[in-house]
Amino acid sequence: WTSQWNPDEPIHALEEERPPYHVLIATYLSYLLLIVLGHVRDFFGKRFRQSHYSHLMEHDGYAALNSDFDSFYVRRLKKRLDDCFARPVTGVAGRTIQLLDRTGPDDNSSFELTGGYTRALNVSSYNYLGFASSTGGCADAVDAAIRRYGISGAGPRHDASTLDLHHQTEKLVARFLGVEAAMVVSMGFATNSTNIPALVSKGCLVISDEFNHASIRFGVRLSGASLRTFKHNDMHALEALLREVISQGQPRTHRPWKKILVIVEGLYSMEGSLLNLPMFMELKRRYKFYAYVDEAHSIGAIGPNGRGVCDYFGIDPREIDVLMGTFTKSFGAAGGYIAGSKELIDRLRLRSHAMAYAESMSPPVLTQILASMASIMGVAPPLAAPAGEELDTMSVASRPTAYGPASSSTLPSWFSLPTPLLNGTEGREKLRRLAFNSRYLSSGLRKLGFIVYGHRDSPIIPLLLYQPAKMHYFSQMMLKRFGADKTPIVVVIVAYPATPLITSRVRFCLSASHTKNDIDMLLRACDEVGDALDLKHGKQTMKVEEVIAAAEELVASNF
Amino acid sequence: MSTQSHSSSPTDIPAPLLPLLQLLSSVFLTLQSTFKRIPGSPIIVRYIKSSYQDDPWRSLLEVLLIAFAVRTLLMGRTRGEGAGKNFIKLTEKEIDELVDEWKPQPLVEEPNDLDHLTLSTVPTIYGPNGARVKLSPAGKTVLNMTIPNWQGFVENEKMKQVAIETLRNYGVGTCGPSGFYGTIDVHMKLEEDIASFLGTEAAIIYAQAFAAVSSVIPAFAKRGDIIVADRGVNFAIHKGLQISRSTIRWYAHGDMKDLERVLQNVEREQKRKGGKLTKKFIVAEGVFENDGMMLELPKVLELKYKYKYRLILDESQSFGMVGAHGRGITEHYGVPASEVDMILGSMATGLATGGGFCAGSYHVCNHQRINSSASVFSASLPAMLATTASTAISILNSQPALQSTLQANILLFRQILSKLEPLPMTESGVPTIGSSSTAGSMPPPPVPNKDAIIHIPSHINSALIHIFLLNPPPTTEAEERLLQEVVDEVVSKSDVLITRARRLRGQEIFEPEPSLKVCISSSFSRKEIEKAAKGLREALVKVCGKKR
Repeated sequence: WTSQWNPDEPIHALEEERPPYHVLIATYLSYLLLIVLGHVRDFFGKRFRQSHYSHLMEHDGYAALNSDFDSFYVRRLKKRLDDCFARPVTGVAGRTIQLLDRTGPDDNSSFELTGGYTRALNVSSYNYLGFASSTGGCADAVDAAIRRYGISGAGPRHDASTLDLHHQTEKLVARFLGVEAAMVVSMGFATNSTNIPALVSKGCLVISDEFNHASIRFGVRLSGASLRTFKHNDMHALEALLREVISQGQPRTHRPWKKILVIVEGLYSMEGSLLNLPMFMELKRRYKFYAYVDEAHSIGAIGPNGRGVCDYFGIDPREIDVLMGTFTKSFGAAGGYIAGSKELIDRLRLRSHAMAYAESMSPPVLTQILASMASIMGVAPPLAAPAGEELDTMSVASRPTAYGPASSSTLPSWFSLPTPLLNGTEGREKLRRLAFNSRYLSSGLRKLGFIVYGHRDSPIIPLLLYQPAKMHYFSQMMLKRFGADKTPIVVVIVAYPATPLITSRVRFCLSASHTKNDIDMLLRACDEVGDALDLKHGKQTMKVEEVIAAAEELVASNF
Repeated sequence: MSTQSHSSSPTDIPAPLLPLLQLLSSVFLTLQSTFKRIPGSPIIVRYIKSSYQDDPWRSLLEVLLIAFAVRTLLMGRTRGEGAGKNFIKLTEKEIDELVDEWKPQPLVEEPNDLDHLTLSTVPTIYGPNGARVKLSPAGKTVLNMTIPNWQGFVENEKMKQVAIETLRNYGVGTCGPSGFYGTIDVHMKLEEDIASFLGTEAAIIYAQAFAAVSSVIPAFAKRGDIIVADRGVNFAIHKGLQISRSTIRWYAHGDMKDLERVLQNVEREQKRKGGKLTKKFIVAEGVFENDGMMLELPKVLELKYKYKYRLILDESQSFGMVGAHGRGITEHYGVPASEVDMILGSMATGLATGGGFCAGSYHVCNHQRINSSASVFSASLPAMLATTASTAISILNSQPALQSTLQANILLFRQILSKLEPLPMTESGVPTIGSSSTAGSMPPPPVPNKDAIIHIPSHINSALIHIFLLNPPPTTEAEERLLQEVVDEVVSKSDVLITRARRLRGQEIFEPEPSLKVCISSSFSRKEIEKAAKGLREALVKVCGKKR
């Protein structure tokens, strides 16, 4: 199965399933109860146990570092679930993960490690293609790189900390994405927060999806540009907003905007929803805005060639002005990239905060990117270059959007990869497995009657829980299973402020390293826990064993 | 009324409730009396009573009417935001025309000459970075004085070994933010190592130093809070200040008198305005990234306590550079690190791995785990960068000799260059530069130097040295070009790589003056330092001397 756009299938579920009213009311009531209880405890605590509140109150003429109002949610709501968050681990975040066991004796105020370990199935890490690994071809390449280059990129890129390795990586990234040029930054968050201010400034308008990542909001705030948001993934709302802002111009003065930058994400990390790129491109042509697509989660994870949303929808990546993505997820490395035309990247090199002041990317990380990316692409021996023409500066018209292999001349000469990585078979295999796993789990959970958000091809699958208490139980019951099968599973639960208050959810992130058996087990576990916690708010149409038996049909069907 | 009757017959009420009831009745009575004191209140009461008797529906209608009026009022206010008076109603056709007409500016502007210069002068290192590097695949080896490699950790073999071991256990990336299974045991170990090395309660690590600095400040300082900052702070701090939306007051760079003046002004203002007590912060750097000057920490601490401020100290440069063990300027001045509220630092400079940290009290660090966006919304630091940082800290702890080598190298370099400064250094290395660093008795009266062409404000212990021209050309662009000439001259004649300080012109709050940046490392030999300093001195004389 490949991850590719099927025009017959709607990009969004037409109508998101709504839970029954009693669930909503119970959710509101439980938050109300938590808030009232919290305030009561604060009220008495401040009077009778002052030592516990000293950091929240004024003392010796210093204002409180964080007010009790600001920290109320954290202290009184999140703390109750704290043993489900930030669980410490050790080793590789691969198909399985090793947890360090811990206990929170004093109501989760602090945790103590017990010294024990639990190995659990990992459906939580952003290891979409399974490249996070301590063995194999990529790790061997990184090993060689550490011996050769050491571990430090040293200072900022503009001082003498640009290595040949940086250029090679940037070339390969550009080739991978099918654009002219790319630039790498040593941290994914900083890729947005240090480059958006270099693109827009006062007098420009940024239009942003309401669920865009915090780093984008951080960057926009630094840039000084005006900001408007539109309803999540709603292209009609975007169009209405575009018509309004272009016709009205800047507030008060009504002068036309200098430029409009629309920032969207390819795949949303909390919703699993996919950008409606075909319609987005139509709007772009009509309204002449510049497009900034954050592919932090979609790059490597989506599309028949793993090239993200452009690949998925078969759209030429050069039509998008700014492509951004991270290496943390599919490539098992760290940091991020910005890619686009050569003029854009040159300009960013001059104006990006990260280039002049932040540390450069470290050689082992660069090598991990090179190795994983090359094995998705496959490596071809160098072709005889056409006379007087460089390979990566072809015009839009001259090249069809077929993603070719990496040419071996772009890779460092000391680089050696094993054959399955070199010829790209393993990369292709990984992409197919991920596509199958995603579609299978997403369809399976729906058939079991859970309310699941997101696109069926998305490897991020959020399952809605609603009530806050169920988050805790879900996480605990997956870890300490009570059914016949006791294999622990670690899951991520997400709540306010990452999601709207009532739609608390558990989020599965699948990986190509998961086998069908793993997904079967996850489905059985969800079925178990879902029955126990009354989570099946949709209509259950199949039993869990039926779902498992019909896996292939489920994946192939477009419902 | 019933409350009154109850309180008058106390026998059938349990004793503990008595004061409560008394309170209720007195509240009721005061409310009644105040209502009666409002002019016209009897008329209202009479009106309500009579209207209710005549026609209860009418009173209901009136209540609804009032509610409706209130609602319209509120509606109007909210609509004023988006559309309001300023919104021009247009027909669909007009909008279409405007859309067709609108021509956006190009996404990127054409680069100017200075931009071309900047782009073309970024050197590429072939092979590993370190103290001695190659600038072309088969080129000659040059001395690299541009990277923060204070203790030579960039080429450390032990750290490479540790990195490979870590790779074989943890892979490269962590594939998740620290909240979602991205907290690895080695991260916790590094946090403990940093905290115990500095002597603070706790520490928290970030995946990049620049992002750490610009994210920690807004995690604490919010709108309405007051930040007093040094005018010379680095770009990352600027960004943090900008995001925080606090009220920012600047004091003259390195001027403690001015700092006190600003603090007094703020106090006076607050007294005049009254109002709630707000959080107040002083933000400064240990060794300033923009010129290598050092903060007078004892004086700042004194003022901070006097005026009740919290100190956010960025030690990105000074951590690993100054102090007997490289603990930064707290060790340099012999002040416990716990006196500084938040110490920001970088593992990428002093420890030559990657990432940044914030050290402070337990509450300070824990607060960031949920409230600092670069910590919450970003993947955690690769495991090998954490373990190697731990290794580097243990090396710093066990080998104080590294620091004395570094300091000797710095001193030698400064002595050779000081021949071009207005006040040359004496042989013993007494710093004669900087007005504030040596107050009181200064033995020999300084002799003004007529050959002076440069000025080095950097602290005598700082391995980060900025060189400014005394008589710069009239425009910034010409000055940058002149400095680039010096850089080119040094690399071609003496095989020493230095750099001009790269700035983001147009994006800085205060445009820093152009300067040359030199970084000293303990892995250079005395001979290399001598050669480099003399080469730089000759280049400066050759390029800048003739233009005077």
